[in-house]
Amino acid sequence: MAWFLVLSSVFLCNLMKTLLPSISSFLTKMVQKDAEQESEMRAEIHQMKKEQSSISMMDEFARYARLERKINKTTDKLKTHVQSRTAQQAKMKWVVNIVFYILQAAVMISLIWKYYSDPVTVVPPKWIAPVERLVAFPTGVAGGVGITCWLVVCNKVVTLGLSAIS
Amino acid sequence: MEASEEKTEKPSSGVSAAQRRAELRRRKLLMNSEDRMNRIVGFAKNDSDNSGNIVIVRLEPRFHLDLDRTQPWSSSSPSPRPSELPGASLEDEMGGLRQRAKLERGDDLSGSPRRSLQQYLSRFDDAMKLRSQLANDKQAQDGGSDSEELDPFRIFRLIGSVLLAVFVRVFVCKYLSIFAPFLTLELAYMGLSKYFPKVEKKTQTTVLTAALLLSGIPAEVISRSMDTYRRMGDVFSDLCVYFFTFIISHEIVLLIASEAP
Repeated sequence: MAWFLVLSSVFLCNLMKTLLPSISSFLTKMVQKDAEQESEMRAEIHQMKKEQSSISMMDEFARYARLERKINKTTDKLKTHVQSRTAQQAKMKWVVNIVFYILQAAVMISLIWKYYSDPVTVVPPKWIAPVERLVAFPTGVAGGVGITCWLVVCNKVVTLGLSAIS
Repeated sequence: MEASEEKTEKPSSGVSAAQRRAELRRRKLLMNSEDRMNRIVGFAKNDSDNSGNIVIVRLEPRFHLDLDRTQPWSSSSPSPRPSELPGASLEDEMGGLRQRAKLERGDDLSGSPRRSLQQYLSRFDDAMKLRSQLANDKQAQDGGSDSEELDPFRIFRLIGSVLLAVFVRVFVCKYLSIFAPFLTLELAYMGLSKYFPKVEKKTQTTVLTAALLLSGIPAEVISRSMDTYRRMGDVFSDLCVYFFTFIISHEIVLLIASEAP
C-alpha cells in the first residue's frame, strides 16, 4: 500500500498548504495579548466622534477642539498599534510558512528515502511502454512505478482536486 | 592665450570688444549644445583643451552640428575650406581640423548617445510601470486564491482523461501501451478545442515576464510562449490525471480480484 501512503502524504501536505493563512492568523491571535486594546481604542474613537458630531463648533469651539485633539491622539495610538500587529502577523506568517516547508521537505525526503529502491506499485512493463524506464526511476524495476513519478503525479492531481473544491 | 589676447585688446576698443565678447558668448551658448550632450553622456571629454579654438572655430557656420546629417563631415567639408577664411592662421586650421575630426566622431555618436539616453529613459519608465503592475498582481494574488482556474474545456479534458483511463484499464491495456490511447485523446482535444468557448486568461505580470520585457523581447513573442507553455501544462495535467486514474483503477481491480473467492 505504498501508493496509498504517498498519496495521503501528498494530500495532507497540500491541504495544510491551503490552510496556512488560517493557521498563521489563528496563531497570531493566540500570541497577541493586547488585541482587546485595539477594539477598545476603536470604540473610544467611535464614541468621541459621535460626541463631536453632536457639538456645534461655533458654540463650543474649545470643547470641540479638545475632542478633536483627543481623537487625533487616539487615532495615532491606534495606527501604531495596528502597525505593530501587522508586523507581528507578517512575522508569524513567515515563520509558519518556513516551518511548513521544512516539514514538507522532510516528509518528501523520507518518502523518497524509504521507496528509493522499491516501486510503489508494479504493472506489466508493456503497459507503460515506451517510458517504462522513466516511470520506474529510480527503482530500475521493470514495470514498476517509481517514487518520483508517483509523487509528481499525486501532487498534480491533488492540486487540481483541491483547486476544483475551493 | 586667446583670453589674454582679448584682455589686451580690451582697453584699446572698449565697447566693440565687449560687444564682440557678448556675441561670442551668445554663439558659444547656441552652438555648444552637442558638446554639452556629449559631456552629459560621457563623450568628448577633451573639449576644454580646444576651448580657445572653439571660440574661433564655432564662428564658422559649417561647424554647426546637424543632427539629421547622414554623411560624415570629411566628405562634405573639404580641407581647403579653412584657408578660404580671411585671416585664418595655421593654428586655427589645426584646431579646426582637430575639431572637425572630433565632430565627425561625435556626429556618429551624437545620434546614438541621445538615442540611447532616450531608450534608457523609456526602459526606465517601462520598468517602473512593470514594478507597479507586479505589486498589484502580487496583492491580487495574496488576496485571491492561488489555484488554477478551471474553465469548461479544462474540466471536459480532465473528465475525459479519467473516463479513458478506466476504459483502458478494463479493456485495452492487455493489447497495447496505455499511452497510445492517451495520445489519440490529446489529438482529439486539439480538434475539439474550437467548439468550446474561449476563456480570456489575464496574463499575470511576473518577475520573469517583466525581465523578458525589459530585455527587449517583444510582448507578442512572450505572450505566444506563455500560451504554448500553458498548453503544455494542460497536456501534462491530462497525463497526470490519466496515469493516476489508471493506477488507482488497477489497484482497485487487484483488490477486488484478491478479495473475490
